[in-house]
Amino acid sequence: MKPKVAIFDLTDCEGCEVQIVNSKFIDRVLGGVEFVHFRLGQRVNRWDNFDVAFIEGAVITSHELELVKKIREHSKLVIALGSCACFGGIAAITNFMDREEAKKYVYGENADKIETLYIKPLPEIIKVDFMIRGCPIVPEDFERVVSDLFAGRIPREHTRPVCMDCKSKGNPCQLLKGVACAGPVAYGGCGAPCPSAGVPCDGCRGPLEDPQTTAELELLKKIASKDDIIRLFRKFAPMAPIFKEIGGGKL
Amino acid sequence: MIYDEYVTQIEGHGRIYFEIKDGKVVEARLEIHEGSRLFESFLRGRRADEVPQMSSRICGVCPVPHNMAAIQALENAMGIEASEQVKMLRRFMLSSQMVQDHALHLYVLAAADYLNVNGVADVYAKYPEAVKRCIRIRTVGNRGIELVGGRAVHPVNSIPGGFAKLPTKADMEKIAKDFKSIMNDCIETFNLFASLKYPEFERATEYLAIDDGKHFPVYAGKLVTNKGVNAEAKDYRKHIKEEFKPYSNTKFCTINGHGFHVGAIARVNLFKDRLNPTAKELLKSSPIKFPSDNPFHNNLAQALEMVHYCEEAIKIAEELAVKLKDEERPKQTKAGTGVGVVEAPRGTLIHEYTVDNNGIVRDANLIIPTGMNTTNIEEDLYALLTANVNKPKEELKWLACQLFRAYDPCLSCSTH
Repeated sequence: MKPKVAIFDLTDCEGCEVQIVNSKFIDRVLGGVEFVHFRLGQRVNRWDNFDVAFIEGAVITSHELELVKKIREHSKLVIALGSCACFGGIAAITNFMDREEAKKYVYGENADKIETLYIKPLPEIIKVDFMIRGCPIVPEDFERVVSDLFAGRIPREHTRPVCMDCKSKGNPCQLLKGVACAGPVAYGGCGAPCPSAGVPCDGCRGPLEDPQTTAELELLKKIASKDDIIRLFRKFAPMAPIFKEIGGGKL
Repeated sequence: MIYDEYVTQIEGHGRIYFEIKDGKVVEARLEIHEGSRLFESFLRGRRADEVPQMSSRICGVCPVPHNMAAIQALENAMGIEASEQVKMLRRFMLSSQMVQDHALHLYVLAAADYLNVNGVADVYAKYPEAVKRCIRIRTVGNRGIELVGGRAVHPVNSIPGGFAKLPTKADMEKIAKDFKSIMNDCIETFNLFASLKYPEFERATEYLAIDDGKHFPVYAGKLVTNKGVNAEAKDYRKHIKEEFKPYSNTKFCTINGHGFHVGAIARVNLFKDRLNPTAKELLKSSPIKFPSDNPFHNNLAQALEMVHYCEEAIKIAEELAVKLKDEERPKQTKAGTGVGVVEAPRGTLIHEYTVDNNGIVRDANLIIPTGMNTTNIEEDLYALLTANVNKPKEELKWLACQLFRAYDPCLSCSTH
């Protein structure tokens, strides 16, 4: 029997689902699984039991809060897809602002009619079995995790910082150029597309396990203002552990 | 409550609500429930160089136009004049995005409507060749964005003034060949969509696109419509009004109090004379003619544009393969407010930013193609339902969803 798969998107840019379509895997996925619930891809969707549910996006409305709990009840495995699900994503920058003022700026006198919750990472709301990180995810991570799951293996975490990806690409070091870069503490395995294109890493995949935060901050303070260090970590994974503290101003 | 009736096969979350009483449509609403991420609020206080990357996160489906509109607006605000080469590379990136994004919408989202199957997995099971064609097209489109922008989803390389890193002449030569290799796939896509049966429906409306005086719309220009608007981009507020409706997180746009249409159909209706030769030739033999007032024909216009933008990408890549050169990136010369306009796959996109003397963004306003289309969609819905009012409710519901889908809406974008 084909594995029963569900793909849900909450509030986000849907770029991680686009990365699934961009995966070399896509024809194997299309032919190899049964999509039970996949709003973006099909008309009829069912609340069956899912073998795996992928959840992309951030929980911003109370409807989404209920929805993720319902998904958890229906799924053997829940995979958080992308940094909005894993770490609140870019919209969680508003967690560090006056939310009422932020709404008023956009909606004026109608701000009170708009619901936006304090944005929590998905693992703080429901049990998540694995996180595929990144803004956006890289298709290779999706392929690896899906192969592992369907082979009955537990997917493994990347354990090296983005610096290792960067070194293997032969890129000049951003920090040595005096540019604030999150590479040394950032969860690697992405292939370092940002430094390869000549811009610093902004840690969109969150921190790696047990990062050398003190050393990184010491280095950053020599080359960047406090505001710029806050901006660097309060960006695409602002609610990730450690990033949340630095982005919140604890330097 | 858990809404299970969100319209499927579109980007973002919204539903269509309508009510019919005594054979008359009394209500037809587009309810957009996508969460508000409040981009305009949190972009304030950011450095101008990080804003284009952040703005691209508005949409992972069409990140390039957001990236490009932001850069153009920031450059206008900061008194930076990009070189002609930089503008060519931007047109190349946007053309690449058009090709791959239209392929996504047509094959993955819209095809199921016209082939009458449940979804993309069934399209693949029944028409594997069509899906493989889509994958080939998207692979090259992605490669084009990646080559210049550094990454296909959420480019990293494009910044105010130009690019952090330039491709090489050899890269441009190779990518020109890649685009040539999918030209036939784009033409096949047009032939496929020209052979489909579209619901019969017409409603005359106002079409808006940008006009740089030379190119088929893509990067920068004036705002023009078929009903007399001819305005500098910076004056967009004088013509396009935004209104809040209590049932939608996306604001609704109007010109002179009524809806207007942006997107592929608007571009083709207004500027079909500027299409590249192959697209122009295809249009001559097409059974469906433009200008068209049938919103479902937006899908055929998208297929036609795939041919046009593929040819455009080849043209630019071949030219740059010969004359690409290293250039100095111009820097900020002033503080102020700037507007940027580009064509996204779904239509005209406007970004506006105010930047201070330290290069920090102080104000932001974003008008998104699907936001512009909202009022027009409701007006179309009302007319479409009225014309089919005697059909069973389930059928009407489906027709309404198909109409909405034909616009290729993106509610993630429109709410942002």
